[in-house]
Amino acid sequence: MTYRSTVSEVRLLFFATDENRRPVPDLQGNDFAVVDDERVIRDFRSFAPITSTKVDLMILLDNSESVGARFHEEIKVVEELLPRSTSNSNDNFSVLSFSGMETHFICASDCGEALARDKLNSITPRGSTPLFDALKLAASVLIQHRQTDVLPVILLFSDGEDTISRASFDEAVQKILASGALIYAIDFADPGGPSNGSAILRTLADDSGGRTISLESGAEGISSQIDADFRAAYVVTYASPATSSEFHSVGVFPTRNLNLRLRSRCGYYHSHAP
Amino acid sequence: MKNLFLLSLSLIALPALVAGQGGIYEHGSVVRMHMGECTLAHHGFMTAFGNSATEVPQESCPEYTLVSEKVVFVLVGKSSNQLIPLAETIDFRLQKNELAVRVDDAKHETKFAIKEMMVRSEWDRIQRHMDEQMRASQDHGLAKSQD
Repeated sequence: MTYRSTVSEVRLLFFATDENRRPVPDLQGNDFAVVDDERVIRDFRSFAPITSTKVDLMILLDNSESVGARFHEEIKVVEELLPRSTSNSNDNFSVLSFSGMETHFICASDCGEALARDKLNSITPRGSTPLFDALKLAASVLIQHRQTDVLPVILLFSDGEDTISRASFDEAVQKILASGALIYAIDFADPGGPSNGSAILRTLADDSGGRTISLESGAEGISSQIDADFRAAYVVTYASPATSSEFHSVGVFPTRNLNLRLRSRCGYYHSHAP
Repeated sequence: MKNLFLLSLSLIALPALVAGQGGIYEHGSVVRMHMGECTLAHHGFMTAFGNSATEVPQESCPEYTLVSEKVVFVLVGKSSNQLIPLAETIDFRLQKNELAVRVDDAKHETKFAIKEMMVRSEWDRIQRHMDEQMRASQDHGLAKSQD
């Protein structure tokens, strides 16, 4: 007789900060609970801070006409990120640009080389903004590359104003959640100036467990904010509760100190063990 | 029959009521949470002071299922950021028609509206039934995929 388990394990990455947004580096397993499809889960199979992790990093670069005013600033920041991001040889790194009806790989695995910089500096802003199509494609690529213990991260440079995609916003979010990618959305809008595009970027980042960072932070500011996040990053694993739904909403909440801010992706797609 | 049921529920909840008046806390565990409508907290005020054109705010409020030894409560927060710490065991007491939960290591309480109350044994029976249905549905799906 063959027994097949239908209980699959969820591996959830989350970040812990205090009320002043400072990383909490010493979180304990009984400081939080996970709410998975409305069920409160306190029994975990494992819990540990992330001390080092391999990252599959993809930069999505909006070179549509609408970002024209800040395009050179965008290219400068991405170029400054290139050597930083490839200094750790354990990470995968790629850059994808999108505008009009097209997306193009600027570089993949060779982003530390001069050719990548030349390609980057040769692109110009033109055409409409296929943001959601680009996100779907990026997620598909990350799903194809998927490896255990490699964290997919998307650095999305855009004003968030999609104008031409075939895919809808919801389809893009679904694909991103299926890939497990964390989105850091680099927002071109003036800080404090509300825009529809900023709201789109914020939702994309929040739903994936990432966050928005202003382009004005520059390459160093962007890197240091992401580094700060990972100083307060934890991974918890638990048995996925049985429900009838394919998509599970998920959240992490404190068990004692309500000033703790615990940030994770908004959900995941459940699949039974093969 | 309904009156008998309500009487039974009141008798079961009586110790908690008495404990609440005397400041003694009961203990329970939150087993479910979701963001739902703030209906209980908002509608009462708006009905009393608003006019027919007044719109109810569309904010989401946390809704918790709190299981104690004899009674299960469904509680609704009054705002989106009114949270209960999800510790294994929390302290609470009934105060008039609200439920006060101790937070911040007992430094203060936060009050929740009671949306629903149910006898624990009835709630357990319903959960068992739902789990059985879920297992049957999963086994059926697994059998189909093997065909």
